[in-house]
Amino acid sequence: MIQFSHVNKFYGSYQALVDVNATVNKGEVVVVCGPSGSGKSTLIRTVNRLEPIQSGQVLFDGQNVHADLKSAELNRLRARIGFVFQSFNLFPHLSVLENIMLSPVRVNAVKRGEASQTAMRLLDRVGLAHKAKAYPAQLSGGQQQRVAIARALAMEPPVMLFDEPTSSLDPEMVGEVLAVIRSLAADGMTMMCVTHEMNFARDVADCVWFMDAGKILEIGAPADFFSNPQHPRAQRFLSDLHVR
Amino acid sequence: MLSNMITIIEDNWLLLLIGQYPNGPLGGISSTLILSVLGIVLAFPLSVLIALARLSHWKVLNWPATALVYIVRGVPLLMLILWVYFLVPLLIGDSVPGFVTMLCTLVIYEGAFLSEIVRGGIVALPAGQMDAARALGHSHFGAMRYVILPQALYNMMPSILSQFVSTIKETTLGYVINVPELTFAASQLNNRLLTKPFEIFAILAIVYFVVCWSLSELANRLEKRIDKQRQGDDQPAAGPLEHASPQTRGAT
Ligand SMILES: Nc1ncnc2c1ncn2[C@@H]1O[C@H](COP(=O)(O)OP(=O)(O)OP(=O)(O)O)[C@@H](O)[C@H]1O
Ligand SMILES: [Mg+2]
Repeated sequence: MIQFSHVNKFYGSYQALVDVNATVNKGEVVVVCGPSGSGKSTLIRTVNRLEPIQSGQVLFDGQNVHADLKSAELNRLRARIGFVFQSFNLFPHLSVLENIMLSPVRVNAVKRGEASQTAMRLLDRVGLAHKAKAYPAQLSGGQQQRVAIARALAMEPPVMLFDEPTSSLDPEMVGEVLAVIRSLAADGMTMMCVTHEMNFARDVADCVWFMDAGKILEIGAPADFFSNPQHPRAQRFLSDLHVR
Repeated sequence: MLSNMITIIEDNWLLLLIGQYPNGPLGGISSTLILSVLGIVLAFPLSVLIALARLSHWKVLNWPATALVYIVRGVPLLMLILWVYFLVPLLIGDSVPGFVTMLCTLVIYEGAFLSEIVRGGIVALPAGQMDAARALGHSHFGAMRYVILPQALYNMMPSILSQFVSTIKETTLGYVINVPELTFAASQLNNRLLTKPFEIFAILAIVYFVVCWSLSELANRLEKRIDKQRQGDDQPAAGPLEHASPQTRGAT
């Protein structure tokens, strides 16, 4: 579904991704972890081309994301990739319902009535139907992030990407957001999730990628990765997190 | 002095209000206000286009827009008025009323200044807003239209209002090309009465002050209100017009 091959990415002279090769299969949940600055956000943002790359290929559903696409093609491609940000990035001038309806209506030309029904159904799913008329500033962080997930789901993407969805939340709100992501996993959604929530990774992930200094150093099933990490950097990372 | 001023107002209030209308062109404060409102209203869409062009990666858009802004900002308004005054008749091949000349000048001038305000408002928004819109599949212009501009323009309302106040003051320069507006009316009056320049120009100053001060005050209040909203308390950030209207009534 998503395939990185020989991806290299530079910020000026700093190489943020170094020859990354990896694959996310359909229906798979991949958790990306690694120390701060290792390139996790950069990697996940190359999938919908929020970050350009200098060489290599990222394939999404067989399509080369970084090819010389027409802007309309790129927009269509992005519309099929759900993306959830660490800082929610809800649109503060729109109500919760309008946040979710905006893109189906404006990008996918869905009728307003239909979009509003879908939005309500998704809000119900994330447990926030009663907040449809509220504005983002009136919601807690956990609620905002659940709305952001609903907003991404409204485009009916076959893939969801999460960049540290719980890192800017107070601890008591982490659970409610992870619960939503777990339910997506249970429904078979293909997902790539950058997170430091190792319990979540252990339960939900099919595969864990460990990154450091722009490289994927280790790829493994969570059971193996957490109990028996191969790479010394991964061993140190896990012991720093006290998960072993 | 004060009684002199009151007498002058009593005798000439109509001239100060509408100039020589209906026997001549509309003038006085109504002309000043119409000129300012039209100037800013027409300059506004122009300024959004200039701002978008300046933020564009396309050199064909970016370059001329940047040049325009730099030139207009680097030239005194009076110079611009004189250019338009001599240039427009050459281009059209016909003489143009002073009012129109002044309006064209103001639209260019305010368009350039407003565009910097609009650009500032766009740049000040968190980059995550554009990222989120693009990630959802919106085109650059879709993202601008539905996500970025509504927020930027709402946040910029106080600055736009302040620019409107500047515009009112700048209309006085229309005097040099005989645009019938408030300053022009006052100077006509001065030519007629001859002996009371101090009183007449004191009245003129007071009128400008009252109009501009109330609008500035309105801008300040609007700014405080928007600041409060940005902190994310009770009021939603949307519905700007409904929220602003009670204040509009309060201050005018
Ligand atoms: N826009 C940028 N310009 C220059 N360098 C950047 C930029 N964005 C990221 N970097 C650098 O690239 C490296 C990888 O950054 P990235 O944000 O992908 O890390 P991360 O693994 O997501 O870290 P974190 O856990 O802190 O989010 C870092 O060293 C960072 O300083
Ligand atoms: Mg990151």
